[in-house]
Amino acid sequence: MPNNPKAVDVVIVGIGAVGGIMAKQLASAGLEVVGLERGPMAEFEDYASKDSIRSITRRNFDERVRHEPISVRQREGAPSAKRFTSTPVNAVGGGLAIWTGSATRFMPDDFRVDSNEVQAGVADKARADLTGYEIRDWPISYDDLEPYYERFEWEMGVSGDADANPFAGPRKKGYPLPPLRQGARNELFGDACARLGYHAHPTPNGILSEAYQPPAPYDTRIQERPACVYCGQCNNYGCHVQAKLSSAWTSVPVAFETGNFDLRTNSKVFRIETGPDGRATGVSYFDPDGNVVEQRAKVVIVASYIYEASRLLLLSGKGKRGLANSSGQVGRRITAHGDVRYTGIFDDYIVNGFIGPNSGMRMDDFNGNNFDHTGVGFIRGGTIGTSGGGTPLERYDAIPPGWPRWGEAYKEYLAKYYTRQADVTSHPEALPHRENFIDLDPRFKDEWGIPLPRTTFAFHQNEHKMWAFLGEIEQQILREAGASEVWGFPTNRASRWAGGTVMGDDAGDSVVNGYCQTHDVDNLFVVGASVFPTMTGYAATPTVCALAYRTSEYIVGASGLF
Amino acid sequence: MTTVSFVPVALTRRQAALVEAAAARIFPTTDTPGATEAGVVNYIDRALAEAYPGLLSLYRSGCRALAGESKRRYGVDFLKARPDQQDDLLTAFEAGGVDGFPKAKEFFGTLRDHTMEGVLGEPAYGGNRDLVGWKLVGFPGHQYGYEDAYINKVVDLEPKALDRPYPTKEAWNA
Repeated sequence: MPNNPKAVDVVIVGIGAVGGIMAKQLASAGLEVVGLERGPMAEFEDYASKDSIRSITRRNFDERVRHEPISVRQREGAPSAKRFTSTPVNAVGGGLAIWTGSATRFMPDDFRVDSNEVQAGVADKARADLTGYEIRDWPISYDDLEPYYERFEWEMGVSGDADANPFAGPRKKGYPLPPLRQGARNELFGDACARLGYHAHPTPNGILSEAYQPPAPYDTRIQERPACVYCGQCNNYGCHVQAKLSSAWTSVPVAFETGNFDLRTNSKVFRIETGPDGRATGVSYFDPDGNVVEQRAKVVIVASYIYEASRLLLLSGKGKRGLANSSGQVGRRITAHGDVRYTGIFDDYIVNGFIGPNSGMRMDDFNGNNFDHTGVGFIRGGTIGTSGGGTPLERYDAIPPGWPRWGEAYKEYLAKYYTRQADVTSHPEALPHRENFIDLDPRFKDEWGIPLPRTTFAFHQNEHKMWAFLGEIEQQILREAGASEVWGFPTNRASRWAGGTVMGDDAGDSVVNGYCQTHDVDNLFVVGASVFPTMTGYAATPTVCALAYRTSEYIVGASGLF
Repeated sequence: MTTVSFVPVALTRRQAALVEAAAARIFPTTDTPGATEAGVVNYIDRALAEAYPGLLSLYRSGCRALAGESKRRYGVDFLKARPDQQDDLLTAFEAGGVDGFPKAKEFFGTLRDHTMEGVLGEPAYGGNRDLVGWKLVGFPGHQYGYEDAYINKVVDLEPKALDRPYPTKEAWNA
């Protein structure tokens, strides 16, 4: 080792949504915190860019972000392929740099799929074939997370209407800000849903509808940010007014302000170090010049995206199994959202889909356990909503089947219908399946010579039945809204991953406990969507942020760690 | 015959002329501007030099195949073929039905994508000249935001494009 920086209280691997909050919370409690982020500090100019060639076509919102490959295959035994993915974003703020803003809490039932659906007979009534799935309850409940959801919403600024969604869990406080303006989405999706008897509402959104700074008793050190200007470029773009929340302008500046936070960017952690007693002693990383540095710490927190969380544990420890893996569950039980997307064109209505916000209206009538599943052939479901992404480079392939894809007629189509189209989409839940997992790729390595995380992943029967069902509803809504033509299909595209370091009470079949603390190594924590026992129909952000607050509180109060 | 009015950096002048002619069929000039006016070939040439160098060989072989197939089918160079002949050829490429060029479909798909990037992308990348693509479809470009929600009405803002966005509203609107 060329150098050996002094031991600190806490080292956090990855300064995204979770890492930013934990750095703020732990440094504020007087702990000395080092943050190791494999990407750069994103500069304002990168966030401000509204360059669709860069952000959409070339998927590189910040030119200095190094896109690290993963490897993918659909089933065991198949050869893997190397793939560069733009999510997670390797920069301070992580995926929050370019997220859509969708910020819904999970529903109480989402934590109890085994009890409430499998054991309670919903699956039987649905005649769902759950062969191969690995379904279990979370060891924590919605009530456990409720105060931390509130803190996330009030510190980071979430806009929404607490009374608009009848399926939402109980809450002590409403949202700090009213919903974002919905424009044409209200008329199209909202009115169509109302006529059909569905409960459309504006998506709770991590984008400010008004200028906002958290009031007491929340963290008033977080700076004030301005309201959304509805530029329409949320998904895959940075926010040029900083109305969209990111750690980079909420939690991280406060962590710096404490004087207890040392952020090292372009620093790639490759191993968690352990002592003779099996406890974590710190991490080793490549600094920006490629030197190996060991950072010693009393507590190690892995706050990276799911690929890296599993990979890091598998790369560490003494044996072949990796670290914190006596259960053999590291890398198992990964899930993702599917993508069921239908598009409609409107002869008599101008949609102007390029006006924001991207995450607009939605309804949860067919999400989770919210509807009668009798005979549908699957359990769970998905939230259905309008979807964003309205710049021309995102829309030139939105063509009804059978229409020309080029030439004069295509040009006429685009000229008429670019402003007259809307998507209704769902990102439905996939249940963990025993054939889906992450391990270390035996062949592909990254630029430092370290094996890539390899995902073996395919959607299975429960998802396929669910997609067909949700697709019918989406088409119904678009037709009700007045679309002259509706088309689309479910795709096999997986996004919003979860799992790999599953949370559970039983050390024999889970990696972390309800506080995201590994069962095997008491001073090692893994915090993020990788701990989810089941995914839900929603994006993970509010829940991982709630876990970050809750775990921070636990670490500060725990005895024997420091 | 060449219509290319700039010095290409990745493509040869001949390849650039072929690409421009094919792009002009993919997004033709009608009573409104098309790929030619948008400067698509300029966009593609720069993209091949900067962002997609790995696709240069596909363009080289694609251009060769386009010229060769035109000669074989019609006895004339692609640049001299009639528009309907050019369309038939491109349709054959799109379907992958070109003897001796197994990448015909891939080439056409790539060319179509790049043509649309050149029509609808940021002018800073060499295409969408005078914002002809954005004006055609009704996209007002890099607006700071939208004070009106424009519910069921045309957005009557002058389209704009910024080489580099600026952090303040004043600078943005300047």
